[in-house]
Amino acid sequence: MNLQALLLSVRLALTVALLLLVLAMPLAYWLAFTKWRGKFLLESIVALPLVLPPTVLGFYALILFGSRGTIGKLWQSLFGHPLAFTFTGLVLASLLYSLPFAVQPLITSFESLDRRLLDASSTLGASPGRTFLRIILPLSWPGLVSAFVLSFAHTLGEFGVVLMVGGNLPGITRTVSIDIYDRVQAMDYSGAHRMALLLLVISFAVLAAVYSITRRVWSPWPAR
Amino acid sequence: MHRNASTRFAQNFQFAHGRFLRPAALALLCLLAISVSASQELRVAAAADLQFAMKDLAASYEAKTKQVVTIIYGSSGNFFTQIQNGAPFDLFFSADISYPQKLIDAGLAERPTLYSYAFGRLVLWAPPDSHLNLAVKGLSALLDPQITKIAIANPEHAPYGKAAVAALQKAGLYDQVKSKFVFGENISQTAQFVQSGSAQIGLIALSLAISPAMQNGERWLVPADLHPLLEQAVVLISASKNNAAAASFLDFVKSAESKTILAKYGFTTAQISAGETKP
Amino acid sequence: MLSIDIEKQYHSQGSSSFQLQIKEEFSPGFTVLFGPSGAGKSTILDCIAGLQTPDAGRITLGDEQLYDAGRKVVVPPQSRKIAYVFQSLALFPHLSVAENVGYGISASSGAERRAIIQSASQAFHIADLSGRNPRQLSGGQQQRVALARSLATDPRVLLLDEPLTGLDAHFRETILQDLRAWNASKRIPILYVTHNREEVDAIGERVVALSQGLVIAAGNPRAVLDAPRAMALAQAAGFENLLTTRVANLRPADGVMDVVLLPSNKHLEVPLGTGQVENPIRVAIRAGDILLATEMPRSISARNILPGKVESMETCGTLVVLQVNAGAHFVVHVTPAAVRELSLAAGAAVWLVVKTHSCHVLAD
Repeated sequence: MNLQALLLSVRLALTVALLLLVLAMPLAYWLAFTKWRGKFLLESIVALPLVLPPTVLGFYALILFGSRGTIGKLWQSLFGHPLAFTFTGLVLASLLYSLPFAVQPLITSFESLDRRLLDASSTLGASPGRTFLRIILPLSWPGLVSAFVLSFAHTLGEFGVVLMVGGNLPGITRTVSIDIYDRVQAMDYSGAHRMALLLLVISFAVLAAVYSITRRVWSPWPAR
Repeated sequence: MHRNASTRFAQNFQFAHGRFLRPAALALLCLLAISVSASQELRVAAAADLQFAMKDLAASYEAKTKQVVTIIYGSSGNFFTQIQNGAPFDLFFSADISYPQKLIDAGLAERPTLYSYAFGRLVLWAPPDSHLNLAVKGLSALLDPQITKIAIANPEHAPYGKAAVAALQKAGLYDQVKSKFVFGENISQTAQFVQSGSAQIGLIALSLAISPAMQNGERWLVPADLHPLLEQAVVLISASKNNAAAASFLDFVKSAESKTILAKYGFTTAQISAGETKP
Repeated sequence: MLSIDIEKQYHSQGSSSFQLQIKEEFSPGFTVLFGPSGAGKSTILDCIAGLQTPDAGRITLGDEQLYDAGRKVVVPPQSRKIAYVFQSLALFPHLSVAENVGYGISASSGAERRAIIQSASQAFHIADLSGRNPRQLSGGQQQRVALARSLATDPRVLLLDEPLTGLDAHFRETILQDLRAWNASKRIPILYVTHNREEVDAIGERVVALSQGLVIAAGNPRAVLDAPRAMALAQAAGFENLLTTRVANLRPADGVMDVVLLPSNKHLEVPLGTGQVENPIRVAIRAGDILLATEMPRSISARNILPGKVESMETCGTLVVLQVNAGAHFVVHVTPAAVRELSLAAGAAVWLVVKTHSCHVLAD
């Protein structure tokens, strides 16, 4: 039973989901509220990971983050080793891979807000920043939850990207999905089964916990 | 007024962001914690045909020296690409000597450490109850009508895959069977395809065919002259931070004990003469 | 003193686009912006608040420029100190009443803040609702919370967009009283937008009448609304029926006159006007002032009972609009429940019931 791989996967998924919440918000805010005509370009870029095969993303991540890539070389000069084949490299690649799963629910939440609530906040003297923190965020709770859950789940199940850019190093980049794959190849079917089942149970538990919390929060949509 | 506004903003920022700051900070800590990797372990990239043999070798070595050996199995071709892009392996055991040689030429591996540790052999393998009569039919068993899928390693980057294609071409069977190929990402996955029944028959490494998981199946040793030599070699990666430990393990691999273990898994350490069919 | 002189192209009812042009000054006290939907009233309020930007012009409050197209000055809404109560109220559903009321208060200490919330809540009689969530309140209570919230910020101007629609006259009156009492001490300009004539009468200060983006009349409510002079204003005041008639008979003793509906020669009793017999005269009736019966009403006070036939029916939001031929073409509004209970449909035989004083005589 490889707890190390499991912990690694959960840590990766959690890190990515939390970071994405923070990073996806300004992006989603801008996409929801801007009237710029070129908006569709940015929307397409954000949605790319949805249609790209993970191996394409993993391939480009390997090229860019590896010792011969621009980002990899920069990282090497700063830290003494390339960005690929590290946990950080996985996090960065996963941030790109799961980005649309965080951005889309946030955009939907922001767009469905009653604009007059935002207007009210402004006329009562709140700056756009304060309106965002006190009105938009609390009322977008379902979107935030969705964004977190989807990016967590998506990252937990990642395989192609991790395989390409991770290097399958135990304790560092050998996630559960890779580990299960390894066990199958080694024909250790019972081991693979144990890990897979455990992953299934954990994923289910996380989702159940998140959705139960969401139920207790009131629905934020105005009565009128 | 200005000061009041900023105080209020700070209060609200803390209130609303409190939900996010703490978990985010925790995340960052986790991130940093992981970056500190164990550099005492020896990282070995091993070709997939060493799946069982390397485990034994490492266990034996670890018992003697208390040095932790971490093995990552995969396709030799993929390891080659990853090492070119800075993958942090200390030693690379390749099923095809050309990959370590290319690494040496590129300045990424140490020439003096190049050591040819074995010659791999290709076998035709089918699950125990197939009744395909491999011993009599040899490669022509592939033409049996009950066969719909033939597993071979991906010839693009896996040495055993290239060997399988070469052997079939030389035997004149390639065109007839190529539509039934399923490709394993490496020779281990290829073996797993046949072992699980996803493919009815496959061309796999001898070292895997005689492993405990697969030794009960039907097998037939493909004559060595049907394909280029599967000369396997190991080399020390220049960027390794563990030169001493790596060199020590390499010495162990050259020892008589290692040769015995390798032989147990069908790896011959001398070239095979043509005509030999028994493993 | 708030003065505006702006132009803006805006869209109403989806497709049609109008050019809003208004140059007005608003002194402390109530000013009603009156007109039908699409007249541009909400757009004017949005521009004053800074939520929309005009295409050209200036908006000045006292000696501060809030907007100046020429000098590229646009003060953002959060800096204007102009309170705005929207038609939908926009109460924050995730905050309590007290938190809503306190949202815009910029007090430095918690105690000062609580004191302001308390006084605003008391002024509008919602102090006992502090802990509740806005969605648990009645319509009237919600209006009060919205007002208290806006006024707690001590604004320099108050904008109200149809704030009292849907409330019955009693609640309307009490809220207006509270508002007037509050303004007695503050003396700020209060702009009150409505398309409802009764509210104009209730407020009774200055009226600016708008239609399709232009000011068509301004002044004292009596002068502007009681005797609608232009056809446009009559339509603005919400009269869906404009009937061509001829004066048949004058009855000054009763204060009424009889007119004949052209072309059918049906009679209508309307308030006494200044016309002579045989004069053509136009009579305006609101669709909402006409009652519908499926049986001939008896012993009823209304003086005008016209038999007719329903030509078509169409649901528009919460109303059903019927086109009825009763000697002339009439537009009548009823509720969907009435349609169901009376089994109204195209072709049904009905009686239209109109009070004398629901008929407004137009002099033009």
